[in-house]
Amino acid sequence: MSKFRGYAGFILEVNLSNHDFRHKELASEFCRDYLGGIGFNAKIIYDEVPAGIDALSEENILVFGVGTMVGSTFPTSSRTEVSAKSPMTGRFGTSNSGMFFGTQLKNAGFDALVIKGQAEKPSLIFIEDGEVSIQDATRLWGKDSWETLDILKNQYPGAEVALIGPAGENLVRFACIENGYYDAWARTGLGAVMGSKNLKAIVVRGTQGITPFNAGALLQVSVKARQLIESSPFFKPFKSYGSMNAAMPYGNFKALNAHNFSQGCLPDWKQNFDRPQVEKLIKGHVACQSCIIACAHWVDIKEGKYQGLQMKDMEVTPTTSYGSGCGIGLEASVKAAEMSQRYGMDMVSTGGVIAMAIELYNRGIISQEDIGYGLAFGDDDAILHLMDDIAHRRGIGTVLAEGTMRAAKQFEGGDSSAMHVKGLEIPMIDPRGRWSTWSFGILTNVRGGDHLRCRNPIENLRYNENKHDFRKERFGFDQKMYDALDMPDALKTQAIDLESDTVDIAIMSRWAEDLINLFNSVGVCIRPPVEHRIGPTVIAEAFTAFTGIKISAAQVMQSAERTWNLIKLYNLREGELPEDSKFPQRFYEQEISGKVLDEERVQEVLQQYYRSRGWDMLTGKPGEEKLVELGLNNLS
Amino acid sequence: MNKQLLIDSSKCTGCGLCELACAISKTRQCQPQLARIKVWRDETRGIFVPMTCLQCENPPCANACLMNVISKENDKGLTVRRLEACIGCRACQVSCPFDASRYDYIEDVVVNCDHCEGNPECVKYCPSGALQYCSLAEAIDCLRNVEAKKRCIDSGL
Repeated sequence: MSKFRGYAGFILEVNLSNHDFRHKELASEFCRDYLGGIGFNAKIIYDEVPAGIDALSEENILVFGVGTMVGSTFPTSSRTEVSAKSPMTGRFGTSNSGMFFGTQLKNAGFDALVIKGQAEKPSLIFIEDGEVSIQDATRLWGKDSWETLDILKNQYPGAEVALIGPAGENLVRFACIENGYYDAWARTGLGAVMGSKNLKAIVVRGTQGITPFNAGALLQVSVKARQLIESSPFFKPFKSYGSMNAAMPYGNFKALNAHNFSQGCLPDWKQNFDRPQVEKLIKGHVACQSCIIACAHWVDIKEGKYQGLQMKDMEVTPTTSYGSGCGIGLEASVKAAEMSQRYGMDMVSTGGVIAMAIELYNRGIISQEDIGYGLAFGDDDAILHLMDDIAHRRGIGTVLAEGTMRAAKQFEGGDSSAMHVKGLEIPMIDPRGRWSTWSFGILTNVRGGDHLRCRNPIENLRYNENKHDFRKERFGFDQKMYDALDMPDALKTQAIDLESDTVDIAIMSRWAEDLINLFNSVGVCIRPPVEHRIGPTVIAEAFTAFTGIKISAAQVMQSAERTWNLIKLYNLREGELPEDSKFPQRFYEQEISGKVLDEERVQEVLQQYYRSRGWDMLTGKPGEEKLVELGLNNLS
Repeated sequence: MNKQLLIDSSKCTGCGLCELACAISKTRQCQPQLARIKVWRDETRGIFVPMTCLQCENPPCANACLMNVISKENDKGLTVRRLEACIGCRACQVSCPFDASRYDYIEDVVVNCDHCEGNPECVKYCPSGALQYCSLAEAIDCLRNVEAKKRCIDSGL
């Protein structure tokens, strides 16, 4: 039994170049300052990855950081963060996924796994109860991820596997690392980093056990957290229908990515993707480790072209990416999700790059001769064919596999069709259709055009108006909801103004980013019912019960803020410029149902956001005062 | 009336909270392998079945036990073990058709579900209602309701 409480106690460092393993014991200050998960990843990558390297070179480091609460009974604690320098954005690349990998890695004795170097031939890493071996994986190279999993799960019963598919092997820049059959660390192209290291899979099996510091207190706080989550008004909708709840409201707001952000919503969106249509395909729910919500759906297609297809799917982001962004039907979007899983490609980026290709085709910039077949929004056969070409880097797929930003440069006038922020494709939400903390967060996200690192914990989907020059969104809840929000009072009064019933986007963004960063550090899911009710107070209590490290709510928030600032410093070191924080030109120029972004106003909100973070208002650089406060002033 | 652990696998989402709750309460370790309940997962078909001791009337584990430590407790109908005499040979594990004899590597003994003295931890933590602890009459009621609901739906009521 380990002497550590809550933590497994060690970081495993594997060097694929010389087959060297190292166990590093965790220091308690390190745990307090960075908590775990994304915190560990940020510190390790900032310290150990040299500035300005090529993301696909052997100098890049891939880090799997398991959240602190993972493996405990704390509701929804299952998340593991994977980070490296991103081949998509050239910045800090990071992605979060749940299921059972983190639990296994922790039970095998490690809180984080650091992978360095580059293997000579296709390899896999097998970790079991503190023992590590690097094995030959030539027989698996070239197989799609589901075939590979079938083999590995038979060979290592009870193990969890993180692996790449053909896209990762072929260094498609937006390849993802698959987490078992149906989940992935998808965004920012981490699969290409793994592929560049010649690493096909990481197989983990652990039975060591994690000892809680105070088991009674842990169970108590878990029950309390569960009651809080269940009391959220977002809980019941989420339990019954998952993230698909957002599909119709965002369609009504005309705030979806439809045909590469050229319309706010497809005319037949409601008819094809409304709840009754989706529920025809759904059979039961699937949960990650320790989850009380189980938002994922088990999909079983019983008739039609894709009959017999069964998988875990119907998550709003991939469904919109293919169904709305590329305009294919509901069943075809499940098929596209299956192909993405098998090939190991990020669904948002794949959908984004394909939508761009179709738009370029329609604009006459790409011709049928270039591709070999015609492209059209809604043509599922052509889209699936193109996915296959991208994953294997065939024909035009070679260009598109470089991601939207790089591919657009290959075509004259392509830039105006490339819908990305900082090199990462923008997911389902169109900020023109709905301006909120959530859509503003795409701009400030440290990993680029992505919606998952900043979401107002009390977003109100009943209202959609922009009365205050982009500075505010409608609060729209009663005093009870206001009181229940776990946020320091001083900040709460600044962020939410009950009199005018508004939320200040700049201030709320900062809070939401830190809060989500905290969740990603301790490995708790950021689904709305959880983010709404669980705040730093409960997390600090659970953290102390599990690890025995005494920490306050303010301290855990500061740790999360430290991580966010450290990532920003990393991005600045990699050459991030103030003008990179900008939406695609289309959002400022082309109206959607009468709405368009006002560049000047958006810039003002951005400056307000910088100010609330204690960063320079013009350049977005963390100020000296803030760095001293966070203890980041003496970094090399 | 004796209470039973009722498992409705159609409701199970595979979250594994039952395993963790059981393992923590019995061994103070967060380790699903140490739990007396195990969720059997078929990921590729989306099927999750919580498996635990069904307290058989004539338990094969008792017949297989080399040390004769397994017996039926008369008043509650539970299968109980005198763990001080268990040698951890795992013969009971092999003989159990439900994979419900679990090896506890901390104590080096094989254990089974004991209903936590009438207050099972797994049931308390199950978020989906897949696990219930009720009397036989309640269990039959439950099944009746499910069947009635199904027939109502089938006949379009």
